[in-house]
Amino acid sequence: MTGPTARRTSPRVLLVHTLTFRQARSVVPVALAVIAGRGLQGSPATVVALVVGVTVLSLLWAALAWWRTSYLAGDTAVVLTRGLVSRSVRTVPNDRIRGVEVEAPPVHRLFGLVRVRIDAAAGTVAGKDEELVIDGVLRAEGDRLRAQLLSRRAVVATEAAGRHSAPEPVEEELHRFRNRWLLYSPLVGSYLVLPLAAVGALFRLLDEVPDRYVPRPGELLGSPDLSDGWLVLAVLGGALVLLALGAVLGSAVVNWRFRLVLRGGSLITERGLFTRRHTDLEVDRIRGCAISEGLGMRLVGAARATALVTGLGDAARRGQLLPLGPQEDAWQLTDLLVPSPGSLQRHPTAARRRRLGRAVAPGGAVLVAGAVLTATAGWWPLLVVGAALTALGVPLGLARYAALGHATGPSSFAVRSGWLVREHVVLQRRAVVGWEVRQTVVQRRAGLATVQACVGAGQGGYSAVDMAASEVAAFTRAASGSWASALAG
Amino acid sequence: MSAPTPVREPVWSLSRKAIALWVTQGAVGTVCYGLVVTAFWLLVPLDAGWAVAPARWAGAAFVLAYAVLALAVRPRLRYRVHRWEVTGEAIYTLTGWLTRSWTLVPISRVQTVDVTRGLLQQLFGLATVAVLTASSQGTVRIPHLDLDVARHVADHVARRAEKIRDEAT
Repeated sequence: MTGPTARRTSPRVLLVHTLTFRQARSVVPVALAVIAGRGLQGSPATVVALVVGVTVLSLLWAALAWWRTSYLAGDTAVVLTRGLVSRSVRTVPNDRIRGVEVEAPPVHRLFGLVRVRIDAAAGTVAGKDEELVIDGVLRAEGDRLRAQLLSRRAVVATEAAGRHSAPEPVEEELHRFRNRWLLYSPLVGSYLVLPLAAVGALFRLLDEVPDRYVPRPGELLGSPDLSDGWLVLAVLGGALVLLALGAVLGSAVVNWRFRLVLRGGSLITERGLFTRRHTDLEVDRIRGCAISEGLGMRLVGAARATALVTGLGDAARRGQLLPLGPQEDAWQLTDLLVPSPGSLQRHPTAARRRRLGRAVAPGGAVLVAGAVLTATAGWWPLLVVGAALTALGVPLGLARYAALGHATGPSSFAVRSGWLVREHVVLQRRAVVGWEVRQTVVQRRAGLATVQACVGAGQGGYSAVDMAASEVAAFTRAASGSWASALAG
Repeated sequence: MSAPTPVREPVWSLSRKAIALWVTQGAVGTVCYGLVVTAFWLLVPLDAGWAVAPARWAGAAFVLAYAVLALAVRPRLRYRVHRWEVTGEAIYTLTGWLTRSWTLVPISRVQTVDVTRGLLQQLFGLATVAVLTASSQGTVRIPHLDLDVARHVADHVARRAEKIRDEAT
């Protein structure tokens, strides 16, 4: 193993950055503006010169940046030095490293390079600043870095275990993504948004393009006969199919060949079609798991499992254990990491009344407004809308009530809530760093209270909504340490 | 309070000066709203529309109601509700006036303790103690303590947290 000397990234990164115009990208809009202003004076030579000029400039810039950047993975800390003129030195102590992610975007893959992201814990504030990125090292060097950083961290943690600094890669594959699960994606909101976002981007692009280049389907086809209901239906149906297809494609790009592996004390996930990501989660830092099921996912029995890890930046993406799959698989994984606290306890019927009231109230307000309008002005459509909304509020309220629940077990506890996205969170007892009990005037009358467990992972807090006020003290005592008995009378 | 509280109430009250501070805050708010309504009375002529006359009276009524609530009712209610306590193992507060909120944080998980003094608080010789944990949600704030009490509490909690710190977050 080489000593702790400062290294440069691979020179191949120059090619990557030249190819992607990483540094020159900021020049392009200016160039375009100049061209637009003066007009291209015909000759293709100008264009060629311009392209060559930008490329050379980009290469030069990348070379300078490469020359001024170095990293050092030492015994106690990782140091990254960079900056053309103003130098920046960032140091991350090894015991602060919470995870190492190796990712390979498509262009990097072309040249056999990877990008290493080192995640450093810096307290409660999440942000990009907590990362240290070493961009463009050879794949082997990336893997070596990851192994070195993580093993060193492990040595610090388990000196007594007497393990070698390079632990044998005993791998246990916990999970592998099956391609047929991609069929779930059209039912998941976040994947449905992907094609919509693409369409939005396309329209924005069309806006930028001068009008005369934009094709006009109307002129080509003649104005369609909108009175033809079948045509409208066909267009709508086609759009839906495209949307579903887009969702599947988007999900495939992100989740392609997802793999979850247990190696040593780490959970390692790999995913992605174009950009391969390799994320490391320390099992010791896992405080709980969240299983979320959207409305559509519940219809087909699909779920998503996420680990709640302390000090993990971008936790929603990096903590994913099962991006999309059958509920049974999600539960199996969760039970493996956090012991199950048993089946959920329902909340009292007062909670059902409260959920119903809250779901019906907006519809009721519209209904009253509609009644007033009908009586004074004889305008009835609002009345009908109000009645429909009120009627819809009943099943909504019941469904929201059905989602509520909590449970306590010997070493863990669980809370569940939500209707559009139902989230079932299982947490270890040691995860709790505080309790917050809230009671509104209505809740006080109904003998209910909302209890939030404050956790230094995930969203920071998870609530048992509308539990019986009399059970709060017992619940908090059972779900955390003896310190919580201060809440009991 | 008719129904029993879900959890025990902390035992210590805030400084009595907190009432004066809340009344001052209410007075500032009342003056602000009053100015807005006065400007409306003076600047919008009556013949600008049919809604002006009712809006004028509604504005005046609102300011009056707000004044009663913010000057007479809310400060006292708040003072009655707010409680705090530092036990051997935890920091415990109760805040709010309509919606009540009890917060308990074990000292072993405390990361930092801040004492802050706002402008009004300085006028009244008060301070707020904020106890932060690893969770963005798990922050305990004890508002409006006498300055020396606040300093003493912060000192005590910080020292005790160092002694029994639990590294897990």
